Amino acid sequence: MLDAYHISLLTVMGISVTFALSLNLITGFCGQISLGHAAFLGIGAYGAALLSKAGLPVPLGLAAGALLAGAIGAVVGLTSLRVRHDFLAITTMGVGFLFLGIVRQQDALGGEMGVSGFPGTGLDKEGFMVLVLAVAAATAAFSLYLKKSWLGFAFDAVAEDEDTARLLGVDVARFKLAAFAMGCAIAGLAGGLYAHNVRFIDPDSFGFVESITVLSMVVIGGIGSVWGVIVAAAGLSVLPLWIQFIEDYKLLIYGGLLFAVMRFSPGGLAGAVAAVARRGRTEP
Amino acid sequence: MMSRLLKGTALAAVAALFLAGGAGAETIKIGMNAPQTGFAAADGKAAVIGAQLAVEQANAEGGVNGNQIELVVYDDQAAPKQAVPIATKLIEQDKVAVGISGSYSGATRAAAGVYQAAGVPFIAAYAVHPDVTRSGDFVFRTAVVGEVQGRAGAMLAGKMLGKKRAVVITLKNDFGVSLSAGFKEKAADYGITVVNEYEYSIKDRQFGPIVTKVKVDNPDVIYATGYFFTAGPLVSQLRAGGVDATVIGQEGYDSEKFITIAKDAAEGVIITTSLDRDSTVPETKTFIAEFEKKAGFAADMVAASGHTAAKVAIAALRKAGSTDPKAVRDAIAATNVTAAIGDISFNSLGEVRKNVQVQIVKGGAFHRHSVISDPDLLAPPEK
Amino acid sequence: MLYVELFLQGLIQGSIYALVAVGLTLVYGLLRILHIAHAGLFTLGGYIGVLVTDATGSLALALLVAAVTVGLLGMALYRVCYEPILNKPPFVALIASIGLFIAMEEIYRIVFGPYGLSYQAPPLQDSVVLWGMHLTQAELAVMGGGVVVIAVLALLAEKTRAGTAWKATVTDPQMAQSFGIDTVRVRYLNFFIGSALAACAGVMVALMNNLVEPTMGSVPSYKALAIIVLGGLGDVRGTLIAALALGVIEAFGTIYLGDLMDRDAIAFAFLIVVLMIRPQGLLGRKA
Repeated sequence: MLDAYHISLLTVMGISVTFALSLNLITGFCGQISLGHAAFLGIGAYGAALLSKAGLPVPLGLAAGALLAGAIGAVVGLTSLRVRHDFLAITTMGVGFLFLGIVRQQDALGGEMGVSGFPGTGLDKEGFMVLVLAVAAATAAFSLYLKKSWLGFAFDAVAEDEDTARLLGVDVARFKLAAFAMGCAIAGLAGGLYAHNVRFIDPDSFGFVESITVLSMVVIGGIGSVWGVIVAAAGLSVLPLWIQFIEDYKLLIYGGLLFAVMRFSPGGLAGAVAAVARRGRTEP
Repeated sequence: MMSRLLKGTALAAVAALFLAGGAGAETIKIGMNAPQTGFAAADGKAAVIGAQLAVEQANAEGGVNGNQIELVVYDDQAAPKQAVPIATKLIEQDKVAVGISGSYSGATRAAAGVYQAAGVPFIAAYAVHPDVTRSGDFVFRTAVVGEVQGRAGAMLAGKMLGKKRAVVITLKNDFGVSLSAGFKEKAADYGITVVNEYEYSIKDRQFGPIVTKVKVDNPDVIYATGYFFTAGPLVSQLRAGGVDATVIGQEGYDSEKFITIAKDAAEGVIITTSLDRDSTVPETKTFIAEFEKKAGFAADMVAASGHTAAKVAIAALRKAGSTDPKAVRDAIAATNVTAAIGDISFNSLGEVRKNVQVQIVKGGAFHRHSVISDPDLLAPPEK
Repeated sequence: MLYVELFLQGLIQGSIYALVAVGLTLVYGLLRILHIAHAGLFTLGGYIGVLVTDATGSLALALLVAAVTVGLLGMALYRVCYEPILNKPPFVALIASIGLFIAMEEIYRIVFGPYGLSYQAPPLQDSVVLWGMHLTQAELAVMGGGVVVIAVLALLAEKTRAGTAWKATVTDPQMAQSFGIDTVRVRYLNFFIGSALAACAGVMVALMNNLVEPTMGSVPSYKALAIIVLGGLGDVRGTLIAALALGVIEAFGTIYLGDLMDRDAIAFAFLIVVLMIRPQGLLGRKA
């Protein structure tokens, strides 16, 4: 069977996939860009860690972290009613920095020292991996279902052209808030799992770089494409570990890859696959 | 389907690694996680070269009971997220006998949990977060925790230098915060009044506003926590801004780069650290000379700590006579060696017991100022 | 006196922000690209500044070399990286730019080493005492340089053909083209000037800190974004005012709000409040 190293890799992948899919709901489905999504990973992580430290059972801590992230996400979603596109990108980025700024200064939240020594899930590594993969699979299934549902169509309408959608009588504000609430709640859940996997959380783990990383996963996978995002998140999350043997050039390759995908296949992986498939069909 | 494909690729990558590594059957492996890329790469590199030097020295002496030692290093980018799979890989795939961390606190803390759970001994070279050793009885640390070093700073300022009015400037991360906490805890005991406190983030290099305010505070000593890349600009801006108070730093300043950055402003800065440049102890002298030869730049605290952590691991492997994790752990716990950072042993929590070296910048280089060896003041936490 | 000095310190920091952000807002105004990699060019300017100054002993030459080299590189970046993806959705260029920025930081680390570089004999370090305030020559130069550059730029925009062409292209590219303006040339000029200014800022920051690091651009990369939004994206005058205002707010915030939040959070709290009240930016005009 799987050895412990691959179990830990799959766990990392599963958390990243869940996290990336949660952003895909907001950015991919509903067209609202976010540069501060890591804050919600952080809210879920801090919620889960602190509540289980306070003695709450782990599942309750995870759920509370997710709910909290969803609730704050809905509030942040309110900003998307006021500003759009690039302005929204910067506003959400600001939210990310505010989150960090606040956590850093609150001793009750562990401040700079972070939080550790909270009770574990009680699961062994394999069991935890199964839990993580189950959450990832459920998120993927939910995403696929959502895409086909009326809610998905409404999101699509908002993403395509929100003014037209509004004219057609779509309650744009409600759908935007729904997307933010759902996406952020799932991010919070991913954060809770992250906390229980790493067993130590500090503000730096939920910073701007992390927000950029998850956005990159979504965009490289192909914005809005569930399968593309899954593949990209799984791949990118363990890429730095795979390419250990080229040590010095690792981040360079990561940055270069981000750039290259955008430059040559802006539809991401999903776009590239579709293009290849099209070519295959037209060739005799 | 996807994960199978990914796993296949991962396995191929791992296989390639094994082939490239060409690991012999008779080698004993020591694992090391350290940042090799990203913002912390400079410290990670110095720690790795220090550890490599210790391994080379030991192999030249015949290794561990006839077996050669191999240092397996992976890049964790100082990120807790990366540290977990890396620690798992070192333990499960590379089957390392001991792990050492040449990384910062977050990544070290995350890795420590994995080592503890697997029952493999782990030594943190210079991560100062108090929780690292609280992971359990398999985790040790060769660096003095922040609070203890902060207390030493208070003694230095109040008792040894006779200063009365202090300003505390805190770098906002676990390192800076715990140092300042230790300083403030003991300041009053040594007759120091803390007249004001400021904080800055690790990304800050411009301290104009703080300098301006410090001038008004008019302290006779400034306890400023930071790393050479923040302290260099800070000290030079303090001096340029007309602040003449003595600056007391810590091991984060301990790099030739600090002097390169601050130039003349660095003169007279006093730091608490673990490497004595003017040491007459052969171990330390040899280390300083050989490190510079190997690395091409001068040894600093991080390098010395990496060297010490590896040396402790090797000494324990020799003493244990096997790679049985429990025996090695017990051997580490009973450590009593002279390392590059002086004579060291561990307490029940796995915290190091050693003297604090006080160095002063004179003529563009660190030199010995004094040594703090008060065992009560320097007693590391037991739990 | 304390307040005056804090205010001056804020202006110094604000001048740096301004030099970096102007290039960014120029690019945004013209192309609607959030050009994160701009901060990478800023860093490169710092490196060139240190290397040339150490080799020749002339800071002026270093500034010139940094500005020209980085300006040309900025043009090349536009040609190779941005031009082909101009018609794609805005996030494409944003992510491409982020990727580029990460890669640039890593190239600096690999080429120049992880420890960064310092001047062997940093020029302009002597203190000048004015009414009891200590300022280094470098700090005065930054403030003075900032003012001069900004004034010249404003003059160029108002009084020259190139400036008129630029404004026309920003307002309505198609219209501009039909009036015979070479909009492509305007873009290249745009990248050249913006990148050259960032390079000058890099040289000056290197001088004030006596340190250039691979990650030196990470703070400007997002801080400058906040500034150009506050200034009303694409609005040069607004960006300058926002940059100086943010510098001053941070200077006071560091001292008086330090317990509440850190520098970054102060900047972004301010930004979010402004955006919620005025979604078009502090000084932007309603679209």
